[in-house]
Amino acid sequence: MMEKTEPTMPATEEKPRIGVFICHCGINIGGIVKVPEVVKYAQTLPDVVYAEDNIYTCSAEGIASIKEAIKEKNLNRVIVASCTPRTHEPLFRNACQDAGLNPYLFTFANIREHCSWVHMHEPEKATEKAKDIVRMATARASFLNPQEEAEVQVDPSALVIGGGISGITAANCLANQGFKVFLVEKEKELGGMLRNIYKLYPTDEEVSRILESMINSVKSHKNIEILTSAIVKNVEGYIGNFVVTTIKEGKEEENKFKVGTIIVATGAIEFEPIDKYGYGKYDHILTQVQFERILQGGKQAFDKFVKPKTVAMIQCVGAREEKAPRAYCSRICCMVAVKNAMQIKEWYPDANVYIIYQDLQTYGKDYEEHHRKARDAGIKFINYTKERPVEVTLGTGKKLNLKVYHALLGEETQLDCDLVILSTPLVQHQEGKDLSKILKVPIGPDEFFLEAHVKLRPVDFATDGIYVCGTAHGPKDVGESIAQAYAVSSRAAGPMANRKVRTEAITAFVNRDLCVGCRMCEKLCPFGAHKVEEGKSTVIEAVCKGCGVCAGACLRRAITMRHFTDDQILAEIKTAFLSGSGGVGGL
Amino acid sequence: MPEQFEPKILGFLCNWCSYAGADLAGVSRIQYPTNIRIIRTMCSGRVDPTHVLEAFKSGVDGVLVTGCHIGDCHYITGNLACQKRVEFLKKVLEEIGMDPRRLRLEWVSASEGGKFARIVKEMIEEVRKLGPSPLRKEVVGVEASV
Amino acid sequence: MSKAGLVIGGGIAGVQAALDLADQGFTVYLVEKNPSIGGRMAQLDKTFPTLDCAACIMTPKMVDAGRHKNIKLLTFSEVKGISRKGKNFLVRILKKPRYVDETKCTGCGACAQLCPVEVPNDFDERMGVRNAIYVPFPQAVPLIYTVDKENCLECDLCKNVCGVNAVDYEQQSQEIEIEVGAIIVTTGFNLFDSRKKEEYGYGVYDNVITGLALERLLSASGPTGGHVVRPSDGKIPKKVAFIQCVGSRDEKSGNTYCSRVCCMYATKEAELVKEHVPGVDVKIYYMDIRAFGKGFEEFYQRAKEEFKINYVKGRVAEIIEDPNTKDLIIRAENIELGEPIEDRVDMVILSSGLVPAATNDLEKILPIKIGEDGFFVTANPKVDPVTTSVEGVFIAGVAEGPKDIPDAVTQASAAAMKASIFLKE
Repeated sequence: MMEKTEPTMPATEEKPRIGVFICHCGINIGGIVKVPEVVKYAQTLPDVVYAEDNIYTCSAEGIASIKEAIKEKNLNRVIVASCTPRTHEPLFRNACQDAGLNPYLFTFANIREHCSWVHMHEPEKATEKAKDIVRMATARASFLNPQEEAEVQVDPSALVIGGGISGITAANCLANQGFKVFLVEKEKELGGMLRNIYKLYPTDEEVSRILESMINSVKSHKNIEILTSAIVKNVEGYIGNFVVTTIKEGKEEENKFKVGTIIVATGAIEFEPIDKYGYGKYDHILTQVQFERILQGGKQAFDKFVKPKTVAMIQCVGAREEKAPRAYCSRICCMVAVKNAMQIKEWYPDANVYIIYQDLQTYGKDYEEHHRKARDAGIKFINYTKERPVEVTLGTGKKLNLKVYHALLGEETQLDCDLVILSTPLVQHQEGKDLSKILKVPIGPDEFFLEAHVKLRPVDFATDGIYVCGTAHGPKDVGESIAQAYAVSSRAAGPMANRKVRTEAITAFVNRDLCVGCRMCEKLCPFGAHKVEEGKSTVIEAVCKGCGVCAGACLRRAITMRHFTDDQILAEIKTAFLSGSGGVGGL
Repeated sequence: MPEQFEPKILGFLCNWCSYAGADLAGVSRIQYPTNIRIIRTMCSGRVDPTHVLEAFKSGVDGVLVTGCHIGDCHYITGNLACQKRVEFLKKVLEEIGMDPRRLRLEWVSASEGGKFARIVKEMIEEVRKLGPSPLRKEVVGVEASV
Repeated sequence: MSKAGLVIGGGIAGVQAALDLADQGFTVYLVEKNPSIGGRMAQLDKTFPTLDCAACIMTPKMVDAGRHKNIKLLTFSEVKGISRKGKNFLVRILKKPRYVDETKCTGCGACAQLCPVEVPNDFDERMGVRNAIYVPFPQAVPLIYTVDKENCLECDLCKNVCGVNAVDYEQQSQEIEIEVGAIIVTTGFNLFDSRKKEEYGYGVYDNVITGLALERLLSASGPTGGHVVRPSDGKIPKKVAFIQCVGSRDEKSGNTYCSRVCCMYATKEAELVKEHVPGVDVKIYYMDIRAFGKGFEEFYQRAKEEFKINYVKGRVAEIIEDPNTKDLIIRAENIELGEPIEDRVDMVILSSGLVPAATNDLEKILPIKIGEDGFFVTANPKVDPVTTSVEGVFIAGVAEGPKDIPDAVTQASAAAMKASIFLKE
């Protein structure tokens, strides 16, 4: 399982031997802070056995000097007082490691960004403050422990939940990379939503062709094991080591297997606009997906259904509402409407086709083009507003009468339609909501799965090793879903290709003697790193990110953070000001 | 001529946002007085109530806790936990006879160098008006032990 | 086949693609023509719809890319030639001279402090200044100074103050040749040159600026420290107007496509202006509001309801400047009411569209198919959104077409995936 040395809490037995390296940084620090004075001061501090100054500690000479001092003076703690750890900590940690010293026995004192640069006109006070900062660092250093970044083995196998276009694409990608893939699909057949769709925009390709070949490649791939009519019942474990239990529809038999990563590709369903615009009440009012199914039968099937003279499509039905969950725009409906409107015009060039829209989402470089083609083909666009929705009533014959307030012309129009198509949003389904609880991954206010970071981690979950793609993440079209499926394969391939991941060295540590199992840590942890079993909390180190929220909350003081222990923080607090001098020293 | 009271302010800065904000103040050479000492934690959620109380016990006049803006926390919800804790701590301070204004919580992002400097200046002045911490008298003259 | 990859362009898409490939064990050369990676995202103040600080979320990725053991960063460099060598590509890269020794410079900045020259800087869209020896922004990766020889006086002040003798006026450009198995193009975009819309007065009227320039004014680390003020007189504006679709969906300007992000970035900037300037009146003149992405519609509704931003459906015919006050008068038609509008404002922000970056003859070096709009074309926008007409070459980000950050990052990971499969064959 995990290779890690047990941390020694409290501090190691051997006496600290601290080396302090104070940087001039050219004139950046040296021009204001009296560095030689700070060096002299450092030499008087407890446990400091060596102190020197450098013009540039981060230069090749400075680094060499640190390594030399570690060896010659037998240092077991190193402090560099210079700029900010945010840029230079890794550099100095590596230097220590090269010289045989555990990199976590190194600590930083920021006397540039937090001192010389912000107190440029008060050199004496800045010097005294620099002394305080160095002293805080030495106090902290005395309590530092060596740490190891453990490695967690990662099984080179993935679970893909959902056999629609996204799931199939991801499964293919990963299998092509040599990873074993378990593809679990709740229906009897693979294909998901695309089984209902006729053609894709803007290329006008027939779905059946593309889907056939992709399903065949998945079925014939030796690395992919397909489980249809199956759902995921339970998932335990963490990245690299998930234990998955699936169950077949209506049967008792369970299937248990281990995977390294999990990809959620469970798709979405179309919202059914019950009681909106006469849906369910009158004939010949359909949703776009229902319309697609008719299109799939070809022109003959369509002729049997209706020979349209006037068709109207109403956009944003049940979407862009005031309140969650359907406050969002479903992204694809405008293009779907344009595509299907063009299809009607192709088969019935004399038909009047209206698209009644609020804002036309024909975005980007190709779709705007398509919009213009649609206008050129004679499709009419009527702009309506939320405040004055379309009224649908039963007209004469089998027709439907639409009253539309044309917002751009400022007048009301009436349409007598043979066919009304309602563009409704994609929504999350119950299985998706159930899955979010099983995997302990969040769904957002729109009920779609919520990624780790909307901008920079669009297909990751906060929980390591679990990813999401396709419409499970939110409404999107086929091209966008496929791009996400590729992306997800790339993200999952990283840990699996390396067969391991490094875990954070800065992790939580629970003193089991003090823990009473109150579960506060389990509740607070955003990553699921605490598990309370048998009345005690255990830390799943592989998942712990080192934030310390648990440590700050534990009422029994049973939790501390490696490399940011209470002792270390308290040492810094107590030595922050030269209280020994009785005055306000340093100020 | 009475010497002006110089308040001692201890700051807890989270690694991802506020420490970077303070760094940016430095990079931009925005000046502020020397009264503050900074302790870095990975997340503002690490800050334990006992740390804050210990700080006041050590004779500090004011404690500044900073973290990422709500919604931006690198660890997603750490700053929310911090916010609750500080609210609770302010009540505790009141109970023990300390002005709750001696504890201040601010959200500072990595690009808000100016804001960091402004907060430090403001806090120094505010705490200066409040005077030395009532706990100070007990620790003056005692050497800080490590 | 070589197990190395090349990523051309170090913006967010390039950085993501490089990181993904490098994490999978491949060596990646990341080439960037500017002195630092970061691209356009580094210039943004906040990103929609979450209003995250752009620099805060981007710099950790940039630092990761700079430190990754498998990534070789080649900044201030350009690809000059690509040829085939068996299954591989032989790439000639020109490393432009920085006149600063990369191995010595510690990024301490003492040089810039003393440099007497100040010129308008591109990073702040020329609204701020930099020295002749500079880093484009404080979080630059790599944090190494560059000398702008054109404006440098060769006064030696920087040379003399540099503690490690890193300044070298004699530095020559370097030609490097690398062999790679796959290439990912992530060359990003420029803004539409709004001077082409003469009727809007960009480049002539002081107080007509682009959305990207506004980002720099909004940024706390920008040229005005985050204060939104008019370029002409530094006054705080009381009325601000945004104009959408400048250089997009516009036959006359030659760009008929929709730039996809402007509705959202204008909404974001409008909210930020409202936050920075209490009481300011903000209008957005638009054709359609495209808020189709995750969280976008909710963001747009908030802008209308909470922030009271006024969305006016109308085409702006022209903008006239009042020569005395430098105020601007917008002449438009309110399409919903069918009435003409004359609106006097203090500042106009043009939501300029995205055009493909001038890729310095990349098209001639790499014969990837380009569309009429200038963006690179993929083999099939539906089922193969990252593969190009050249085997082994993939594209991602705005190089393929306007898109927002999540879509660019997703596409970059997708390109890395395809490149990785290709490299393993």
